[in-house]
Amino acid sequence: MKRAIPVLVLTVAGLVPVWRYAPSDGTTTTEAAAPASTPSASSSSSSSSSSSSSSDVVDGSTVNTEKGAVRVQVSFEGGKITAVKLLQQPNHPQTTAAVPKLIAATLEAQSADVDTVSGATLTSDAYRESLQAAIDAKGA
Amino acid sequence: MRRVEHVMGFPVSLRIDDEGDFGAAADAVFARLREADERFSPFKDGSEVSRYGRGELKAGDLSADLVEILGICEHYRTATGGAFDVRLPGRGLDPCAVVKGWAVQRAAELLADAGARRFCLNAGGDVVAVGGPWRVGVRHPEIADHLCAVLDVTDGAVATSACYERGDHIIDGRTGRPATGLLSLTVTAASLTEADSVATAAFAMGGEGVDWAAGLEGCEVFAVDAGRRVLRTPGFPVAAHQEV
Repeated sequence: MKRAIPVLVLTVAGLVPVWRYAPSDGTTTTEAAAPASTPSASSSSSSSSSSSSSSDVVDGSTVNTEKGAVRVQVSFEGGKITAVKLLQQPNHPQTTAAVPKLIAATLEAQSADVDTVSGATLTSDAYRESLQAAIDAKGA
Repeated sequence: MRRVEHVMGFPVSLRIDDEGDFGAAADAVFARLREADERFSPFKDGSEVSRYGRGELKAGDLSADLVEILGICEHYRTATGGAFDVRLPGRGLDPCAVVKGWAVQRAAELLADAGARRFCLNAGGDVVAVGGPWRVGVRHPEIADHLCAVLDVTDGAVATSACYERGDHIIDGRTGRPATGLLSLTVTAASLTEADSVATAAFAMGGEGVDWAAGLEGCEVFAVDAGRRVLRTPGFPVAAHQEV
């Protein structure tokens, strides 16, 4: 019974980040030059029945998403996917991004009237000299 | 009312703005923090954490609270690829980074349960603020008596990880060496359990920790990297008048 608890906790605490890769460049239709290792190149095969043979490269059909047309090329090796390449992607440089675009700025030093101060854990010694101590003293 | 006490080795400042007598509730807050210290401090030989670390307790004998804490530790260890690790080689089990936020968050909930509607609890720089607006400053990483940002917080938690003084390090569990890449990293989240854990875990990761934390749902991030560049998420609640 108790052993079930860690598993539950992990599940509940599971704030598993969803990483979605947003293609950095919004080009359309990259004519992917197949690497030398896979000369048995694409053709129009959407026949997904990947043979058990060594390597295959299969072009998917064009799929229209709400952001635009997407077409992928998948490389198989012995039944396993070894690479996925975007042959065509929407013009929008970012389709979805779980990681928001960060705003960059320079570091400022300021003093301002605040209610409290967040900082790395203050020791009791460091507290005496701190802004937070001044705030506490002012309000006491 | 205001009160400051030193618990777990750091100062804890409590401010309650509601009318009425919250003396007993404030007592309960500090009592709960002291209790967490007794139970989970790796610096106390008789604590549950120390006994478990020495192998005197088996996993199946642990309290539900410690199981929860260790579950959170494990979650962040995995999520950071091992950068955040409470079991570093050559050291005993030290879940302090999670215990602190977890304990302060639970202590703050006692105030809400007692009917307080506007209060602010600051435990050594980690903040739970309820019933805002609250103006929360972020300590400048290099100038102790200055701020590098001011936040407007209504209800939520703010935690900052940094190394201001030499010798005070957060270790990157992947290398076993002090984390580099960041001077300071601040996270806001709904609970301090999450804000504090994420801030420490991201700091341990170094520069890549900024993107990692920024991608977590419900977290907003403000980071100062080693080149003194500021990076923040668009949703980070910078106070209105201020252009950071």
